[in-house]
Amino acid sequence: MSENPKKEKFKKLLNYIQDNFPLHPRPFQVLSKKFKLSEKEIIDYLKQLKEKNIIRHFGATINSHKLKYTTCLCATSIPENKIDIAYKIAELPEITHAYLREHKLNFWFTIISKSEEDLLNIIQSLEKTYSLKIKAFPATKKFKVKAVFEL
Amino acid sequence: MLDLTEKEKKVLKILINGLPICERPYYKIAQNLDLSEEEVLNIIKSLIEKKIIRRLGITLRHNLAGIEGNAMVAWKVPEEKVEEVGNALASLPFVSHCYLRKTYEDWPYNLYTMLHAKNKEELFKLIQNISEKFKLFEYEVLFTKKEIVRKHAQYLL
Repeated sequence: MSENPKKEKFKKLLNYIQDNFPLHPRPFQVLSKKFKLSEKEIIDYLKQLKEKNIIRHFGATINSHKLKYTTCLCATSIPENKIDIAYKIAELPEITHAYLREHKLNFWFTIISKSEEDLLNIIQSLEKTYSLKIKAFPATKKFKVKAVFEL
Repeated sequence: MLDLTEKEKKVLKILINGLPICERPYYKIAQNLDLSEEEVLNIIKSLIEKKIIRRLGITLRHNLAGIEGNAMVAWKVPEEKVEEVGNALASLPFVSHCYLRKTYEDWPYNLYTMLHAKNKEELFKLIQNISEKFKLFEYEVLFTKKEIVRKHAQYLL
């Protein structure tokens, strides 16, 4: 079963530009040479994926620690009939990630803050507001951070 | 707060929000910031060198990219094996994140991995393989039921 050759090219392109978007005045032209697609084809394709929301973000991913921010993974149990609490918490500006997971600890989220003290304050205020018991899981070592996927 | 120039801050803010998809995205940014295209490119290069920018490119919504079996798995790894296992798991292509984290008396799991597979069945095979290969028999699978939010933080630059 042979795949459509154009589809293959686009797939390779997507794999490549998750990590290596060219720093060049005409980045899509650079890509067009590398992947044997036209500049316009690439731009149209990426715009389409952006519209369909398959591309979540196109830009820079930041090392928050270098900007002196601290992040912390937290988890709590929210009863199913009160699950809207998870959505309320997820809306806060300090929350960067929020997931419902299949577990007794069913709500996992990441808080970003300017200091250890701010972090504790945020956790305490959430516990008080929503009558929750929150567990904080700060990272002590990072072996890998890579939201890049081989398609 | 940080040793960033005003220009670097401005460029960084735009890059966090996103690059425009057009023939000359850096030129477009430059125009908006009243800088030259060359300046913008040099600033981005320096932010990458300083490791403030971890990655420049696209981020795919993986559940739309045909990956539907996603879970965080928290493993209990003996202290003396943490380095070895952490590095080994980090090298696996289907592991996107691998962190060591604080434990509690009622939560002894110290090594966290984000695992991604085509579907739930594949995912559980991967977990089984890791468990057997590294002799990690105490772990919690936290299957992703729903992603409510995943956003880029609003940094006060």
